[in-house]
Amino acid sequence: MRFLVVDDSSTMRRIITNTLNKLGHQDVIEASNGREGIERLSSLGADLIITDWNMPEMSGLEFIRTIRRTPEHRDTPVLMVTTNAAKDDIVEALRAGVTNYVVKPFTPETIKEKIDAVLGR
Amino acid sequence: MPSWGGEAPGVMARERPTMRPNPQIVEKLVEATREVFETMVFRSLTTGVPIEGDALRPSSNVVGTVGFAGSQSGLVAFYSTLDAAREITGAMLGIEPSQVNGEVPDAIGEITNMIAGSFRTKMAAEGDAWAISVPTVTVGSDFYIKPMVTGQRVLVPFRMGEAEVFVELILMRHPR
Repeated sequence: MRFLVVDDSSTMRRIITNTLNKLGHQDVIEASNGREGIERLSSLGADLIITDWNMPEMSGLEFIRTIRRTPEHRDTPVLMVTTNAAKDDIVEALRAGVTNYVVKPFTPETIKEKIDAVLGR
Repeated sequence: MPSWGGEAPGVMARERPTMRPNPQIVEKLVEATREVFETMVFRSLTTGVPIEGDALRPSSNVVGTVGFAGSQSGLVAFYSTLDAAREITGAMLGIEPSQVNGEVPDAIGEITNMIAGSFRTKMAAEGDAWAISVPTVTVGSDFYIKPMVTGQRVLVPFRMGEAEVFVELILMRHPR
């Protein structure tokens, strides 16, 4: 299973990738904004996307709205990892096509639970 | 003056305090900071007594800032020494502080982003709707932030083991 991690913070990408590796997921590709995320998806594909919201160039919401318009990624699970945790934020993210939501700061256990949830385990 | 006794070594006295933010708002900022450190840095912080107004300014090498705007506008700033920033970065990435090289600005930016974001969420629960900016990080020597507007400011000192870090909230006055 391939994961795509989209976050403008290299620290956060490394934390999420380290967490995924510890959970046994070694196939992880990264992008630093939504535009780069679309390029990675086009060239390499992914089975599950983990994305930040606030990013320069293309935000996480724009990224999700864009990929949801393509037949290839209309149903790809997307986990949003963000500090935007107000009720209105969550509603907006779900409307954009987010499958599930992780609020920063987070524990590795939370990431695991949410991944399991979006994969229907 | 910090609650652990005596003036914090990294803090210099300057001017008299001016305006004080609502203590409940400061408490939310403290909660947000402690949660971020416990969850992402694996460190418990001891909170000092908040310093109001423009009275004290931390000596620091690394400052992260995130602006916010909405029902109120202002700035959340995180201050630390370079050694403390290396410790924080190493803890976040699971490496020794001595192995930390160019990762400090990004890690401190993310810490500031999480503190500001978590604070924003707590304020949203009280009916305050804000948008926050992407973080900015400055690395240098012995500097502080001087906002060019009238407003309220509070600086909260925290002790992290032997190190001190500071979180400042600047609330700007909306013109009437």
